[in-house]
Amino acid sequence: MKNNIQKKSMLRFSPTAWAKLLFMRDMTNNEVGGFGITKANDLLFVTDFALVKQKVTSISVSFDDEAISGFFEDQVAAGRKPQEFARHWIHTHPGSSPEPSCTDEKTFDRVFGPCDWAVMAIIAQDGNSYARLRFNTGPGGEVKIPVYVDYDCEFAGSDLDLWIQQYKANVFVDEILKEKSEKLIFDEKLLADLPPLKNDRSFSLLTSDDLIAEVDKMDPIERQLFIDELAVRSDFWDQENEVLYG
Amino acid sequence: MRIMFINNQGAGYANYVQIADNTTIQQFFAIKMQDQQEADYLIRVNRMPVPKDYVLQDGDRVTITPVKIEGAQPVLLEQIV
Repeated sequence: MKNNIQKKSMLRFSPTAWAKLLFMRDMTNNEVGGFGITKANDLLFVTDFALVKQKVTSISVSFDDEAISGFFEDQVAAGRKPQEFARHWIHTHPGSSPEPSCTDEKTFDRVFGPCDWAVMAIIAQDGNSYARLRFNTGPGGEVKIPVYVDYDCEFAGSDLDLWIQQYKANVFVDEILKEKSEKLIFDEKLLADLPPLKNDRSFSLLTSDDLIAEVDKMDPIERQLFIDELAVRSDFWDQENEVLYG
Repeated sequence: MRIMFINNQGAGYANYVQIADNTTIQQFFAIKMQDQQEADYLIRVNRMPVPKDYVLQDGDRVTITPVKIEGAQPVLLEQIV
């Protein structure tokens, strides 16, 4: 069992939220995405995976703009603040790679860049995961954090009927893009010509008692030194693609 | 005059704000979303689209949310779109 200090530097899921996320991922061979809902006093602990209306294919997911607006209205009406429902952008990759694509990176920059902090989490079909916390206070910075399923809490059981209902109500196949992607997938020559994946970023696990608060307290020079130190300690976390179960 | 404002910028906001009478939605966006492009956001008042010159009314609910939240598998989608 992880102690509380270790847990605070992880993206944690309640067993129910994790089960729901995997259930949604495995409904079809398409991607699926949503927002992580957290408690007000524990913003890195996801207690629900909320879908919004979206179009998907086996290689893409795109949220409906109107649905996002409605989602914000509904969540605020439910008494939540944006930091509790709009900071964890979670989606799946049907393949084995949880590494973010250029599209993922662009969305994370453009949509979540203006936020004080945000997390991009990707769960691949085979269970590999990727999570990155970005904070924009002071000079800003970002760290890759492990994904952890936290059984050390009260949690509800599954609700398959409701989950299926939510999936059918929100997730729609993008037929136009699907056709194009299938053509591409079967075009072996084109695939062979694709450039190799680039992964020139280096991240590491930050183990602090309270990540955001501690970094925020630092003066600019100290903060920069801290971020530089993270950059050279990329080997600190060697199970970065694995989900931990507590 | 008081309106409800919901957005995800900075620390996030979902609360009432005081604004001057006769403020249009375009002016409100310019004040609250400095340095941001209107095209990058969906603006709704009471869950409905409004023209840029819509004059905000007491009690209105303004929601400004990002558009084009999209993800993809590495490499493949970028080759298509």
